[in-house]
Amino acid sequence: MLFSLTTQELMERPDLWEAVHRLRYKIFVEEMGWTDLQRPDGLEVDQFDHDEAVHQLVIRNGELAGYQRMLPTTRAHLLTEVLADLYEGTPPSGPNVWELTRYAVAPGFRDGKRGVSTVGTELIAGFVEWGLKRNVNQVIIEFEPMWVLRALQLHFLAKPLGYQRTYGNQQVVATLLTFNEHTLEVVRSRRSHFAPVLARGYPDRLGMRQAS
Amino acid sequence: MGHFDRTLEFIDQLQHADTAAAVCQKLLGITSEFGLTALMAGTVPQPGTPRGQQKDHVLLCDWPGEWLERYVARNYVDHDPVVSHMKQLQAPFQWREASQGIRIDKSSGEVMGDASEFKLCDGMAFPLVTLDGQIVMVSLGGEAVELSGADFGLVSLAATYAIGRAMQLHTMAAKTIDHVELTPRERECMQWAAVGKSEWEISQILGISEHTSEKHLLNAKSKLGAVNRVQAVAEAIRRGYIS
Repeated sequence: MLFSLTTQELMERPDLWEAVHRLRYKIFVEEMGWTDLQRPDGLEVDQFDHDEAVHQLVIRNGELAGYQRMLPTTRAHLLTEVLADLYEGTPPSGPNVWELTRYAVAPGFRDGKRGVSTVGTELIAGFVEWGLKRNVNQVIIEFEPMWVLRALQLHFLAKPLGYQRTYGNQQVVATLLTFNEHTLEVVRSRRSHFAPVLARGYPDRLGMRQAS
Repeated sequence: MGHFDRTLEFIDQLQHADTAAAVCQKLLGITSEFGLTALMAGTVPQPGTPRGQQKDHVLLCDWPGEWLERYVARNYVDHDPVVSHMKQLQAPFQWREASQGIRIDKSSGEVMGDASEFKLCDGMAFPLVTLDGQIVMVSLGGEAVELSGADFGLVSLAATYAIGRAMQLHTMAAKTIDHVELTPRERECMQWAAVGKSEWEISQILGISEHTSEKHLLNAKSKLGAVNRVQAVAEAIRRGYIS
């Protein structure tokens, strides 16, 4: 199940808040080596965790298994503030365009080997479902060029926003993905899971396994 | 027009390319400027894949025909230094780096030497990984290749979009074949065939001629892409047309 929470809602649940920022630290600072974000408390927090950010959490068995953060493009976001060399011309913005950042699958849930894990595809199904419900049909993502192929396989309409650049040992290209109901169908049939993934309300306290 | 605008235009045009050949042609239109005039992209066959099946792994191909024949006939895929380099999931690289990187055994040298006979003197290659973890290898070559560091990024991004389009066409084609319509009569005949009735018995049950029942069964068989009645029945059950 995927839970979509505002920053306010996330802060009201200290267990979730800490799990989110700890996972982000683990992945982006420790694994990817984004040293600018280093902090002694092992929590990764930046200026974009503002009150309009949307945090999407995949919970499996009482654990935080996956995460991504959606940012509105109607105010400052990563592409315009931090990654400005990734776009040419004017980047797309508007109420229907959001930026997807901090896409992360927790180490214990990477069952996809070389491919994308089920938590990974749940995050994808999640943002598409979430978007279609609130008239969002485009996301900006800064990802490895490899993901372009996967996005096309899922029938997103993809368009690069600029040249690909090398950051450290990673290639990154900013891409605009456009989606509709058909994309959602393809994502769902790829997962062989047709039920909506977006849950209402809050997850149970972390560490509380569901009775089976 | 700048490089980036041309890339955008190319990606836009790809949406309207309806066959793998059209995708190939569009991509080579961009890459030929760097001397890359031949293209091959496909998933990696496991070592020892029967020669007859190697061509099924091809997604996009505009490669000298004779070279492809020889490549398959001599099983070069198991000796090609470019292929072994790609299997290590390297970022885009130039062919000549691949042959420098490893100690060339006799057959690797033979592959590269043979390639230049077909005016494939150098090129670039890179691997991609699909959603389900399959490796797609992309290789572009030509006689006089000139690539700067920035061109690498441009060519590999353009090629990635082309492969993506080819894969979309691939799944769309699979879907069209997958979606067959059986008429109510064809379905009925198949239903009786599934319980072992002969053409004559079916004709008696449905009150039609034996010839007509045979015709319905033949139509159903060809629609389901089956080679005989047993396979047709199995397919019809698998697809849920009959139970």
